[in-house]
Amino acid sequence: MRMPALKLSAFWICAAVVVLLGIAVTIFDVFAINTFIYFAAYVVLQYVVLATAWNIMGGYMGYVNFGTAGFFAVGAYASVALYNLIQAPLALMIPFSGVVCALLGLAMGYLTLRLRGVFFAIATLAMAIVLETMILNWDYVGGATGAYILREREMAPFGDYVEFLFFVMLLLAIFAVAVARWLERSKTGRGFGAIRDDEVAAECAGVPTLRLKLIATTVSGFLMGVAGAPFALYVGFIEPSSAFNLIYAVNAIAMPMIGGATTWLGPLIGALLLGTVQQVATVTISSELNLLIVGVVLVFFVIVAPEGIVGLLRKWWRPRKWWRPRNDR
Amino acid sequence: MCMKSFTKIGLQRWLTRSLAAIALAGAVAFAAPVQANDTIKIGFSMALTGGLAGAGKGALIAMQVWAEDVNAKGGLLGKQVELIYYDDQTNPANVPGIYAKLLDVDEVDFVVSGYGTNLIAPAMPLVMQRGLVFPSLFGLAVNEKFNYPNYFQIMPSGPEPMTDWSRGFFEVAMAQDPPPKTIALVGADAEFAKNAVNGARTNAEKYGLEVVYDESYPPKTADYTPIVNAIQARSPDIVYVGSYPPDSVGMVKAATEVGLKTRMFGGGMVGLQFASIMTALGPKLNGIVNYDFWVPEPTLQFEGVEAFLAKYQKAAEGQGVDPLGFYLQPYAYAYLQVLEQGITGTGSMDHAAIGEFIRNNEFDTVVGKVSFAPNGEWANTRVLMVQYQGIEDNELATFATAGTRVVLYPAEWTSGTVNYPYAQ
Repeated sequence: MRMPALKLSAFWICAAVVVLLGIAVTIFDVFAINTFIYFAAYVVLQYVVLATAWNIMGGYMGYVNFGTAGFFAVGAYASVALYNLIQAPLALMIPFSGVVCALLGLAMGYLTLRLRGVFFAIATLAMAIVLETMILNWDYVGGATGAYILREREMAPFGDYVEFLFFVMLLLAIFAVAVARWLERSKTGRGFGAIRDDEVAAECAGVPTLRLKLIATTVSGFLMGVAGAPFALYVGFIEPSSAFNLIYAVNAIAMPMIGGATTWLGPLIGALLLGTVQQVATVTISSELNLLIVGVVLVFFVIVAPEGIVGLLRKWWRPRKWWRPRNDR
Repeated sequence: MCMKSFTKIGLQRWLTRSLAAIALAGAVAFAAPVQANDTIKIGFSMALTGGLAGAGKGALIAMQVWAEDVNAKGGLLGKQVELIYYDDQTNPANVPGIYAKLLDVDEVDFVVSGYGTNLIAPAMPLVMQRGLVFPSLFGLAVNEKFNYPNYFQIMPSGPEPMTDWSRGFFEVAMAQDPPPKTIALVGADAEFAKNAVNGARTNAEKYGLEVVYDESYPPKTADYTPIVNAIQARSPDIVYVGSYPPDSVGMVKAATEVGLKTRMFGGGMVGLQFASIMTALGPKLNGIVNYDFWVPEPTLQFEGVEAFLAKYQKAAEGQGVDPLGFYLQPYAYAYLQVLEQGITGTGSMDHAAIGEFIRNNEFDTVVGKVSFAPNGEWANTRVLMVQYQGIEDNELATFATAGTRVVLYPAEWTSGTVNYPYAQ
């Protein structure tokens, strides 16, 4: 039995349903959700974008980026700069932050991609520290003292502004996952996989490794930048230590590792799972145990399921014979 | 098995089940608790882990002492007080969600702020949106941008917090004979320190002092000797430092080692008020003139402060917090006293009425009489300038007694005279 139409459109049907659901809960208040859920869901979706962005380099290509917080913060501060300059709306902030971080990613690519393994990872970490130092001394965006962005109380037709922010982050999450899925299935994605498996062999086989690596850093940087763009509006106050917080880098690595780093689905599952657990822990256990939870879950998955939840499902879950692809029977 | 076998229908089913499970877990976790009408709930976030945890935990104990005191007296408006709080992990990004949870899920009647500017500001948009009274704890000029009328900040920095903060340091210096002519400004690249030094720079200009050194350093600097040497090379008459606890310790040690020759040293050094740091530095503190908010001097024995400190110090035993509780803790108690008197004064839980009442009245608290300026700061500054004097050992008891931190400013509260120049 074949269902090609469903196969082709399942992702986009899911995406459309999620968007409609988002519209239903934000504009029409279908489920009368309290404000806290929007705040918490915003953070979870933000991690979906960050984890997906990280996975384009770390998962698909095997280049571990410890500088996620740097890209995220630059995205946030690019928004602040644009806001200070022309009082720009969020619709302008997001593409602007994305482009700034894409260029940053491209520059990082040129500067660091001749490094591999641990040297590349250290270079990305150093980049984040350099960026934080620059922001600390850039008074136009608040510098060390921080900057305030006064958000509107309401945004028609969403009502509360945080509902609008939630909906924007929902769209960004879908966009990020769609980009990652498209990359994974494209010729470019296969090139990423070749680099991950053996970069020298890929180069010998004619894979344009440098160009692909630059594409990966640029796209990854763009997505991390757009994730950071609404941050200052969400918090209302931004200062370097929170924007460059280690938790962004840790989560962006842990979530794909837990979900499964070789597919677009892994970061999505990891971010939804771990992000939700962290949000619940913040208001139940109420302590910095968040980081401990990340650590314990990460160690557990590295030992028990090095390929993440997706890898576990591949092992445990056997599809029905009629549905299993022909070459897998 | 390869990814191809992970088919989409199965995936959808799995996703549906997972989402349902998450939704169920979320519903259980965030279900509104059964409301009791015989309590008044006060909610807040507090830094119980992370960089500000030491101070945050101490503030929490002080707030719990207040709740016990109020409940022992029969509560507020005949209702018992209940504190509901969450750890913000010293991370501003956690604050908006926590206050949304407090207001919409826990359905608290009042919210008060956590500790520190960075953790107060993120709560402001939601608080303003709901029109709530918002007593806040140690925020520096948070309301300058928001201009929210129901914001009431308990740190006594005064109506112009940026400059009032360091005004005492300059007043004390300029009253000496001969008065200083040059100043060095140094501070960490961090929120409070930068603001403190910015205010000091404005004051230096106002008092006609020539700035001969004006530099900042990264917050994680390990060795402060080169900084102190660079300051010494300019031979400033006085040195104003804006620093956080780790760098305050580093600067004091470096000044001692280098033998800094200047007439006044200190100003805005956070941490020198903490018992653990005072006992660690001991005699090295002698001569430093620094800001403070409460010290056990005879001029600052306000009604109730002694009883509060006795309860706090008992509760703090074994909790890993400041055993003396002189710095932040009385103010953590006092900002709830302001809310308490606002509620009892109006006899209602109406936020607009309570806000109006707090704006127009003076309050008796364990930190003295408090009234607020239109911007929600204290109507008059009471940032104390104290000088560490006569410290000969590192014992805790030394710092618990009068005479080791002499109040030099404001004049109304002075308890001694300055040793000038700085002794190092």
